Amino acid sequence: MLNKLLFRNQDKKQLVIAIIGAFMGITFLITSIHYIIKVNEFGKGSDILGPNTIIVQKKVTNASSLNLTKTDFSLNELSKMRKEPFITEIQPVISNNFDISFETNDPHVPYFRTDVFIQTVDQKFLDVKTDQWHWKKGDEFVPMIMPREFLVMLNTFMSASGIPQISDDLVKQVKFKFKLWNDSTVERVNVRIIGFTNEVSSILVPASFMKYGNDTFSDGTSQKITQIMISGKESEFGLVEDLLNKKGLESKNAQMMIGRLKSVVETLFIVVLGISIIAVLAAGLVLIQYLQLLMSRNEYEVRTLLRLGYSPAELIKKFFLYFVKIFGLVTLLGLSTFLILKYFLDEMFASGGLYIDTGMTLMSIVSILIAYLIFTVASYRTAKKEIFKQF
Amino acid sequence: MKTQNQNKLIQIKMEIILNTIMPSPLASIQHGADSIWGNFIELKKGRHILLNASSGKGKSTFTTTIIGLRKDYSGSITFDGKNINTFTPTDWCSIRQTKISVIYQDLQLFPDLSVEENLLLKNRLTNECSEKEIREMLEKVEIENKWTQKCGLLSMGQQQRVAIVRGLLQPFEWLIMDEPFSHLDTENAKRAIEMINKRCKDLNAGFVLTTLGDSHGCQYDQELKL
Repeated sequence: MLNKLLFRNQDKKQLVIAIIGAFMGITFLITSIHYIIKVNEFGKGSDILGPNTIIVQKKVTNASSLNLTKTDFSLNELSKMRKEPFITEIQPVISNNFDISFETNDPHVPYFRTDVFIQTVDQKFLDVKTDQWHWKKGDEFVPMIMPREFLVMLNTFMSASGIPQISDDLVKQVKFKFKLWNDSTVERVNVRIIGFTNEVSSILVPASFMKYGNDTFSDGTSQKITQIMISGKESEFGLVEDLLNKKGLESKNAQMMIGRLKSVVETLFIVVLGISIIAVLAAGLVLIQYLQLLMSRNEYEVRTLLRLGYSPAELIKKFFLYFVKIFGLVTLLGLSTFLILKYFLDEMFASGGLYIDTGMTLMSIVSILIAYLIFTVASYRTAKKEIFKQF
Repeated sequence: MKTQNQNKLIQIKMEIILNTIMPSPLASIQHGADSIWGNFIELKKGRHILLNASSGKGKSTFTTTIIGLRKDYSGSITFDGKNINTFTPTDWCSIRQTKISVIYQDLQLFPDLSVEENLLLKNRLTNECSEKEIREMLEKVEIENKWTQKCGLLSMGQQQRVAIVRGLLQPFEWLIMDEPFSHLDTENAKRAIEMINKRCKDLNAGFVLTTLGDSHGCQYDQELKL
């Protein structure tokens, strides 16, 4: 009866417009936040390098071939690049300065040996567990990360030798050895492959092993920095790319493409997020304004009910709950639409080569809860203010 | 219908004191020595009071001031020794539900709601009467057949009777009536007065009846002027 009295004679058209606005705002808000997070996460865990990280070297030109320009990095160059605001980290890639070869050491696998080039990068660039990535003299084996191309090459060799090819998991069980030597000393150490990378073309080993090799087997010549690792800020990968072009640096195309793609998609979703926040706020304001309008239309009713003995709290609750239910319904509709939209968007991203994780993101749920909370508080305060005006 | 013994809320009778009250809009008017404005007036518990005054002297101002709707006055009003200016919205809510019932001059009905809805909206606050009792009250003032009709479609006299019945659908210690019979014929006024007297007797409550001069045959034990 109280509902009939207070919520009759509404301007339904205005209410419907406000509901549609809020629904669109909420849907875009949750969608944009979800995909900003997902695009950010894209690439994480898929390889041993952290997200937004690339390995670069100077382009080899005719001039550098003739020794007219250098292909190594000076410390001054690194320090200048570190000052760029869009770069979060730069570290040199350290290479071996001694002779090393890699060979099989397993009775089940035919003998295979090749001279190799090993590198080490700072631990913070790698997505590998710390407890696996260490070595000290006397340890049972040296952990190593192998370029995937190397496995392909190994399998080609196996196939040519009439031996079945081996998978990632199986190759991790195969025993290998490193042979390190100089003019006077030869040492063999056991090796175990703990992972693969598509992003680095050389074998990666822990820094402590590299230091041991360089200290023990190096001929004493100074080591040049020919490759560096760069981590760029999220969604500013375009600036990193510009810097690389300006400085004549190059990286693997795939790495650059992913960085570029992530930047573009993320920027797009940030724009959508901005529009969504404005839409949610505008729709919220329209709904609050509608609440004020409804209450001003019911001034007589509210005043009379208060005179009859109705408590302000009960009347505040009536108006407040009515709008909280409307916004709750809008939120649920927005969430449902997002789930449907998400199905199609995930498919669309996948068909575009962006295989993002299809799980829900906590932040997107939190964002609509925050929007709901803000609206709830605003509704309550408006209802309270308008009721007490009549008291 | 609950009586005094059934309703513990009305066990304590409420005494109202008006201490040199002067509403701002009436401050420029000369008031007599027996006027409630500017003098010390005690509304003793359970008394039947007639407040007789010509138009514009502040009868409705008295009603709205005593129920806490107006605050534009000097002096003080106390209920059982408590200044009404100190009451919170919750206190007023409780007073309007169980201590003071008002029949407003402008009736304060909801014209788009039926007689039934208007009355049940009031009754649901305290569940003082059953639907049967409410319909019996309407029957006494001869508008029982208007039960489902919208109040806005009733004549002023019929609306006034609905407002009177609504004023009785709560426990009270004081019934404040602001010209409640102004649109009633003698016979209907008589029936309404009988019903009011019975209800006040049942609740051992007092009333204040404001009028333009005619008491409509209502028995009272004190007359106040404005």
